[in-house]
Amino acid sequence: MFKQNPDELANLSQETNRSHSNAHQHEDDQVETVVGPSVVVEGDFVSEGNILIKGTVSGNVKTGRLLTVEEGAKILANVKAGEAVVSGEVQGNVKIDGKLELTASARLMGDITCDVLVIEAGALLQGKVFMNGLEEMSKNEKKVVRRTKKTMEEDIDSSLDE
Amino acid sequence: MYVYLYDNFLKSKRYDSLIKAMETRLTDYGVAGKIIRLQRYTNCEMLIEDEIRKGAKNIVIVGNDITFGHVLSRAASCRVTYGFLPVGTENSIADVLGIPVGINACDVLAKRRKLFLDVGWLNNRYFISQLHIPPSDIEIEYDESFKVASKGRKMELVVCNLKPFVWSKGGKKYVVHPQDGKLEAFLRPIVKKGVFQKEQFEEPSIFPFEEIVVFSKKPFIVETDGNVSKEIKVKIKLAKSRIEMVVGKERKF
Repeated sequence: MFKQNPDELANLSQETNRSHSNAHQHEDDQVETVVGPSVVVEGDFVSEGNILIKGTVSGNVKTGRLLTVEEGAKILANVKAGEAVVSGEVQGNVKIDGKLELTASARLMGDITCDVLVIEAGALLQGKVFMNGLEEMSKNEKKVVRRTKKTMEEDIDSSLDE
Repeated sequence: MYVYLYDNFLKSKRYDSLIKAMETRLTDYGVAGKIIRLQRYTNCEMLIEDEIRKGAKNIVIVGNDITFGHVLSRAASCRVTYGFLPVGTENSIADVLGIPVGINACDVLAKRRKLFLDVGWLNNRYFISQLHIPPSDIEIEYDESFKVASKGRKMELVVCNLKPFVWSKGGKKYVVHPQDGKLEAFLRPIVKKGVFQKEQFEEPSIFPFEEIVVFSKKPFIVETDGNVSKEIKVKIKLAKSRIEMVVGKERKF
């Protein structure tokens, strides 16, 4: 196996040199965290950038940006992200600040908290769904009720004074 | 005061005219200085510290990626401004730094556009271009928070600093640039494919990090800037803003 390595390395460096010379053509400068298909991550996995998971993660996943769980990938803990697209399996609670998209191949066992939820036909979901908009709406409603109560009381007081 | 460190391969006759032209250009700019020819076993750290004591303010490396890595892997701790005049082939770092290969590099040096660059730190030495661990049974612990392993397969690890790691998939190319405050680790497990179970690299897993520990039960090979060693456990860290370097306008960071 080691006999192959110098060749592989030479090919790699050649590819690097060659492709670097015309790197301006197609380069994508945004390096994201990628967990490959046969890679296993154990522990709390925190990243500042986008995360793309194709393998297995046994531990909490946290990012402020986009989390993509590809088909065949597995997360066995809680997830917190800015946005997420799930096509694989998640066994844990999912908390998303923005939009959560579950594609047809998604398997999610856990509670969801998000702003916007998109579920494609075929996706499996077992858990409660909490949407931030509803909480805000109920808070606003409570505020409106309180305000109307206050104004009504004030009106009654003023009429009594008169 | 400028000190120029010439690589040994520049003794070759085919570089004579180019070196003469460069020296003339440097004299015109008023940045000519002392020339030291590097030998295979030159201790660059001691050499540069000695020159700093004698009054050197700028150390200019003349050669290719190998020369650059050879000098800075030992001398990154020396507090002096570095310059680079790339000559010949194998000059991918010069491209990242925005320094043209050949005589035009003198113009960049004379303009003195300086930046602090991050470098990698491995056990007790620096690495400038790339760190490479050929496929081995390794496990990696990132920033003391999570562990990465392959499913019973060997993995190759490449940690990029100044030398870019280019990986393409579906016409999309990822180019890693040095000045982003983190090092990037590219992990490629070996998978067996096809009728003959030919060993191939899987598409890489990418992890940006500030500190990782690579360990294994068996010794594994570590290659950095031309140095090869066998280790059981290595700690790789990011040394932020370690080198003050003259860079070009066309730099890739």
